[in-house]
Amino acid sequence: MGLGILASRAIRPASRLLQSHNSSFFLRTIVSKPELQSPEAAAVSQPEPPNQILPPRSPVGGARVHFSNPEDAIEVFVDGYAVKVPKGFTVLQACEVAGVDIPRFCYHSRLSIAGNCRMCLVEVEKSPKPVASCAMPALPGMKIKTDTPIAKKAREGVMEFLLMNHPLDCPICDQGGECDLQDQSMAFGSDRGRFTEMKRSVVDKNLGPLVKTVMTRCIQCTRCVRFASEVAGVQDLGMLGRGSGEEIGTYVEKLMTSELSGNVIDICPVGALTSKPFAFKARNWELKGTETIDVSDAVGSNIRVDSRGPEVMRIIPRLNEDINEEWISDKTRFSYDGLKRQRLSDPMIRDSDGRFKAVSWRDALAVVGDIIHQVKSDEIVGIAGQLSDAESMMVLKDFVNRMGSDNVWCEGTAVGVDADLRYSYLMNTSISGLEKADLFLLVGTQPRVEAAMVNARICKTVRASNAKVAYIGPPADFNYDCKHLGTGTDTLKEIAEGRHTFCSALKNAKNPAIIVGAGIFNRSDKDAILSAVESISQANNVVREDWNGLNFLLLYAAQAAALDLGLVQQSAKALESAKFVYLMGADDVDVDKIPKDAFVVYQGHHGDKAVYRANVILPATAFTEKEGTYENTEGYTQQTVPAVPTVGDARDDWKIVRALSEVSGVKLPYNSIEGVRSRIKSVAPNLVHTDEREPAAFGPSLKPECKETMSNTPFQPAVENFYMTNSITRASKIMAQCSAVLLKK
Amino acid sequence: MSAPFTLRKIGVPPNSANLTEARRRVFDFFRAACRSLPTVMDIYNLQDVVAPSQLRFAISAQIRNNAHITDPKVIDLLLFKGMEELTDIVDHAKQRHHIIGQYVVGEGLVQNTGSKDQGKSDFLKNFYTSNYF
Repeated sequence: MGLGILASRAIRPASRLLQSHNSSFFLRTIVSKPELQSPEAAAVSQPEPPNQILPPRSPVGGARVHFSNPEDAIEVFVDGYAVKVPKGFTVLQACEVAGVDIPRFCYHSRLSIAGNCRMCLVEVEKSPKPVASCAMPALPGMKIKTDTPIAKKAREGVMEFLLMNHPLDCPICDQGGECDLQDQSMAFGSDRGRFTEMKRSVVDKNLGPLVKTVMTRCIQCTRCVRFASEVAGVQDLGMLGRGSGEEIGTYVEKLMTSELSGNVIDICPVGALTSKPFAFKARNWELKGTETIDVSDAVGSNIRVDSRGPEVMRIIPRLNEDINEEWISDKTRFSYDGLKRQRLSDPMIRDSDGRFKAVSWRDALAVVGDIIHQVKSDEIVGIAGQLSDAESMMVLKDFVNRMGSDNVWCEGTAVGVDADLRYSYLMNTSISGLEKADLFLLVGTQPRVEAAMVNARICKTVRASNAKVAYIGPPADFNYDCKHLGTGTDTLKEIAEGRHTFCSALKNAKNPAIIVGAGIFNRSDKDAILSAVESISQANNVVREDWNGLNFLLLYAAQAAALDLGLVQQSAKALESAKFVYLMGADDVDVDKIPKDAFVVYQGHHGDKAVYRANVILPATAFTEKEGTYENTEGYTQQTVPAVPTVGDARDDWKIVRALSEVSGVKLPYNSIEGVRSRIKSVAPNLVHTDEREPAAFGPSLKPECKETMSNTPFQPAVENFYMTNSITRASKIMAQCSAVLLKK
Repeated sequence: MSAPFTLRKIGVPPNSANLTEARRRVFDFFRAACRSLPTVMDIYNLQDVVAPSQLRFAISAQIRNNAHITDPKVIDLLLFKGMEELTDIVDHAKQRHHIIGQYVVGEGLVQNTGSKDQGKSDFLKNFYTSNYF
């Protein structure tokens, strides 16, 4: 006090000297109060200003909170901010709702809680030590503090421990740039460590040609162990040993053969499990990510294609709760290197000596336009392939129809497939709706190889609610418990007539789901099988107002859109009596059935099987290079986005057919993609509404009675080799390695 | 007003006032080019490759390509560029393969007369060029 008065006395004469109106800018009398000068006064903490208005907060990542029971909501306080959370939420989830992102390594929202990394420690009032927020349930009235010195010290300590035995591999580790450990140590760790001993190292495990392991980098978070046992359904991985000698491994020399094994690469927070084909190829900051759709199966998983220049470097899953959650199958993830091999890049015409000669587009289209006028209209056949998008199929159908022929279909749908009613070829319970089922009957389908994401969803349902699964078909191994009822149609007949023991289980199920595989469509007795399935569904109340459990699992990405647009095979003899065959990416066509004197035009992006029979080759773009509409097996329409530029002189599929129509004299009335889309809108408007699922409008009650009987041939597997199903995967070296090494013999 | 063209001119001639003057300048340019043709054939040894009439045809075809233009200023600019090109050729600033590739119809230059492209639509023309349109 005295000093202050002395100071002000000393300043006052000077202020008289300055005497300017802005003396207040130069001089400021230092004023002191008695409370501020005594030490006891300083120790008293400032009282909280009452009723502080905090700015509103939104949940992390724009997430929405689902209250399954609104009366059961609890109120907790996160950093002074009150949030309402549902009853079973953990402290970490409550903080996420409040907009606070808590660092974690072992916690993953889709896996069970482990609580062993201790990075998520937060301070809770009235608790002696910081609590692991991922494991602690939020209790009403809890006051959670995430930015106090205790919480920060805890995070620094945990980070220091984790980095103690972690090797200095950042320059050679593939995870650099997208590593959780790097990011969290920068954000929450201390700047220096105190470890001066020798670091431990761990021997690497061989998990197959897809997952590269450097187990020294492992921080033992056990995310991969939990993923393999819960989501993938295989108990391959486990934690061996204790303490600092802990190792993640398979204990026996076993490869990870699961079709979801690539997802552990995304899950692992450090560089212990990385992608072997992508090893040392690129850093994540030099890649351009394009959000697009996968076409290797009928599921339409959402992916992000990372490309560097004209080359696709890797494929990463995107979140889509309805279809693939956060996972993709190995085929989707690793078949991208097939896009670089066996590519068709120039139009070619077969010479008189049988060899192909590269020509210009003018000549190629002129030749095709000439020949097409020399055949009769019903000898023209157009076949769309399994990777064709809706636009190109629409233009092909229009062109073939204008030439006077009705023979245009998509491969995989044999004669007589009924495309009138959409329920008869779609997955009517949507893929996310399968979670509510409590009984599954799989008829002639192996979802593990046909649609790995549907299988993952069934596995999730079985695990969560103990649903029962039974299947009719060839014996196969599933990654969940299921009963094998039979291999052929006799079992189906018995269930339809009510004689089988399984019928009681069907009757008692609240939400039964029947999944029929699209391999059935190729059988001659498919009508009988479908009517048997429909009688089962009628007898057991499978199709009701609120629940439609009758599902069809399609095999190819183009099938649903093809059936929506009306590309069905009208006559069985169309191919045998054809003189002009237009194959638009169709490789699964039986080439021997095409007559020897027929003129075959192959339009596609890979030189696969059917190319060798072709007379003219027209190069087209692959799914990573074009913008196309695809409909998945549940009726969800999505669009691919071009990620890399076109290869060579290739053109988009629909543009080639449109140009051919003009050269042939039957010019189609549209010349832009919007025009094609408005044409599609008049045929199948659901294909224009992207990112929307259009359920089937009518149920089985409209179908007429079927008089045929089922044949005795047992159900055959529709997919022989999971890793080689389309032209891209057959051209891929990684898929070849996988099928040589990972398939169960 | 109508200063005759010489190959070595000093300064930039003033803009043509109207279309007739521009037209006269075009013809003057063509005459100057044709008069320099024997020198060109001599410099680049084109005696066995091409006849002067063929070279004249090539020059006139290029002029005829722009026959539809009506703006005198645009014609002046095109003439300026043509003059520049002619000066380069006469100064031996180009080489034989340039002349053959750019002006000798048949051996170097594939003349597209435009007859087969006239009946096609824009879509087809763009389709033949590239995939991005």
